[in-house]
Amino acid sequence: MVEESVIFVVKTTANQERSVANMITLVARKDHLDIRAIIAPDELKGYVLIEAPEPGVVEQAIQTVPHARTVVKGKSTIEEISHFLTPKPTVTGITEGAIIEVTSGPFKGERARVKRVDEGHEEITVELFDAVVPIPITIRGDTVRVLRKEEEENS
Amino acid sequence: MSDQVCRECHRIISSQTCPICGSSNLSADWSGMVIIIDPENSEIAKKIDVKVADKYALKVR
Repeated sequence: MVEESVIFVVKTTANQERSVANMITLVARKDHLDIRAIIAPDELKGYVLIEAPEPGVVEQAIQTVPHARTVVKGKSTIEEISHFLTPKPTVTGITEGAIIEVTSGPFKGERARVKRVDEGHEEITVELFDAVVPIPITIRGDTVRVLRKEEEENS
Repeated sequence: MSDQVCRECHRIISSQTCPICGSSNLSADWSGMVIIIDPENSEIAKKIDVKVADKYALKVR
């Protein structure tokens, strides 16, 4: 009978989540520890999630791993972390007509109005406010910040 | 990180073609890493429908 797996959370140094996950994998393989899976979601900075049957194996695995700090007390269920496994598109929440600010790239800091949202490619087409001639530019959905939602009824 | 991800099977690989599906449709723009060590007993592996132990990306653009 296989023990049921639960999720344990390991605190890591910021930006070292992937290297910690890789190192734990190596240790688990070498020492034949019962660690079943490791998740390092980008949204969760400074933590990795480990699927194992009991906390002892996780404690043992992180002993020699640099940048892995402690196992967070308590455990989590698969259901609680399943939203990390199906990431939602970055353009969710951006609507046509919304006012956005570009957060990276050559147009960083510019404000613009959203003209079109392409959910498939996770891109949005915007028109910059400060441009003399309105030229539509297409940028990635994760490089913008929504300032104001759609206001088309008022304008 | 210079690792690439196969757009077909979401494996994180360091070579030019995916060794499993033979595809060269790779992407360097990905996020979220999942390492499956024990696919038979892992609930996460079942959720993301993975049957081979490997490194996978959660999201590939």
